[in-house]
Amino acid sequence: MSTLQTPHSSEGRLVRRPGPHEKAPESTHRRRRALELSLAVAVPLVLVLLWQLAATQQWIDERVYPAPSAILADGWERAAEGDLWPDVWATLKRVLAGYLLGTVAGYLLGLLMGALPLVRAALEPMMDALYVVPKLALLPIFLNMFGLGEGPQVALVAATVFFFVWISTMAAVLAVPEGHRDAGRVFGAGHWQMFRHVLLPASLPSVLVGARIAAGVAVLVIVASESIAASDGLGHLIFDSRALFQNDVMFVGIVCVAALGVLFSELVRLAGRLLTPWAPRDRGRGQS
Amino acid sequence: MRPPLVPVLTLVLSCALALTGCSAQQDGGLKTADRDIEPAPGCGERSWTDPARTGENRSPARCEAGAPAPRKLKKTRALTIATSTLTAEYVAPLQIAIREGEFAREGLDVELKVLPTPEALPLLAKGEIDALWAAPEAAVVNGINSGFDIRWVAGNFSPAPKSKSGLWVRLRKDEKPTSVSLADRKIATLIGKGSVISYPMDTLLSEHGADMESMSFRQLGSSDVLTALTSGAVDAAWLLDPVWRRVEDDRKYTFLGGQPPGEPLGGALFGPGLLSADVDAGVALLRAYIRTINTYFAGDYKKDPAFVAELAKILKQDPKVITAVPALRMDWEIRKGTTDRLQKAYRDAGVTEGEPVPEARLVDRRLYAEAVGHEP
Repeated sequence: MSTLQTPHSSEGRLVRRPGPHEKAPESTHRRRRALELSLAVAVPLVLVLLWQLAATQQWIDERVYPAPSAILADGWERAAEGDLWPDVWATLKRVLAGYLLGTVAGYLLGLLMGALPLVRAALEPMMDALYVVPKLALLPIFLNMFGLGEGPQVALVAATVFFFVWISTMAAVLAVPEGHRDAGRVFGAGHWQMFRHVLLPASLPSVLVGARIAAGVAVLVIVASESIAASDGLGHLIFDSRALFQNDVMFVGIVCVAALGVLFSELVRLAGRLLTPWAPRDRGRGQS
Repeated sequence: MRPPLVPVLTLVLSCALALTGCSAQQDGGLKTADRDIEPAPGCGERSWTDPARTGENRSPARCEAGAPAPRKLKKTRALTIATSTLTAEYVAPLQIAIREGEFAREGLDVELKVLPTPEALPLLAKGEIDALWAAPEAAVVNGINSGFDIRWVAGNFSPAPKSKSGLWVRLRKDEKPTSVSLADRKIATLIGKGSVISYPMDTLLSEHGADMESMSFRQLGSSDVLTALTSGAVDAAWLLDPVWRRVEDDRKYTFLGGQPPGEPLGGALFGPGLLSADVDAGVALLRAYIRTINTYFAGDYKKDPAFVAELAKILKQDPKVITAVPALRMDWEIRKGTTDRLQKAYRDAGVTEGEPVPEARLVDRRLYAEAVGHEP
């Protein structure tokens, strides 16, 4: 950090001395990264250790809040015996299918509504009304429409993801500066070229932010949905084990959902970086 | 000076690991044994039936109306009873007991709280609620297995012989009601494999060439169970009162069976508060419950339109819904071996683990025995 020193003379001169990041930028940056990484690992680790301590010392009831070591052992055993993977796979399949459908549909409609004012005028009020409906409330309707199979689960994830992507796409297209469009027109760009060379590159970074938020929400909504109308999946595992008072299994499911959410969200972030190298880098957490 | 991160973490980790395994679960001894049992006027020989007896021919135990007489506690005791519903008919004796002042006559101030069993169990074990009106579901067995001091202390009901609440199946082409095969068929239920209906379901499935593990179960809402059956989404469904009435006269469906006759599968569960700390209050609660059954629910309580109207009011149901199905056989006793049979079904369904819990760790009949003055 640089320092400002009190003026030494009546002339009121401002003397600025270089800080460590200017004297030794490489090592300062390395130290800072090491500190951030240590904190990112240490804070959850300390919390988990406290939890372990609380459980073993009976500050909390281990039968209700099993110790992390018990959860880990149970999860490991279930994974080794192959009991866990069918539920993980069932949830993953539903999330991926619904996410893909919702993203494509949301992107296309957002693009259309962002580019064509008449389509926007026709659909926006209705879409706004549908947006605020809790998506879980649509589950009984999807159950009637698609029966008891995978259809309702996939449709629910798709409906949830759709609105996040639709809104971010429409907003991103509307936010493309008029000057960019004018430039395209000056160069004689047709509809496809305007989309390919102006709207897509300008809007994609914002669209991908919406898609990343939708990735987390997709996991959230599938867990809720599986608790109501599914015979497998992580949501079913969590709520079924809760109903059976198998709390260690319930926590295994919760940990798996958290891991799945983080993994899925990070994959979408990575895909975003690869797809939009021109966009400012999304640094995510407190990375400097 | 910066604290060294790695040594600090190592220290915390070592402490946590060193302390692992130092715990010991508390297991308070139950104090329902060795209590003086006095005769209860109005409760004669019929007030106790041999726990080994089950089946259609077994009549539930009964005392005279108004018996056993109340024995008011010296100091009023506030009790909280959790139940997953207030609208089911089997909860009616509790509601009537509150309404008619039966609990108050014992010196009890009873409050009913709606709470699902999995949430209620830890609260019951910690003494934050005093009783749970539910059933020895798989969750209860798992809870007791993990060290909770909880016992099933009284029954609730068994279905009337004419009741057809239970497993209904849609007949395939050329299939006869007498030769239904359930192998590889889908079943819809309101409650999951961990509920007490697993026991009759397990029995019925084995009678029809199937087992719990191989069946595909769909857990659905109460109205969706019937819809799934009639729409063909599932092949069979466990239909509760009065839903089965909707398919009763349709030849496409046949009734395979329901809860075993004369064998209650649910009732009152007590925690350490009423099992150890204040057994007098536990006995008083059951005495009031038993008296309510003897006074208001002894026989076909649905014959009296005024009582049906009262029931409809407290259960927030239409009187027609209540009279659409036969009266339950209210039954405060617990049959011998019920918990063993339940646990077999749970194990078959894969919802409990470990060795079966002996009946003595799950059931305590001494409280209702004391209430009716029976020396077990």
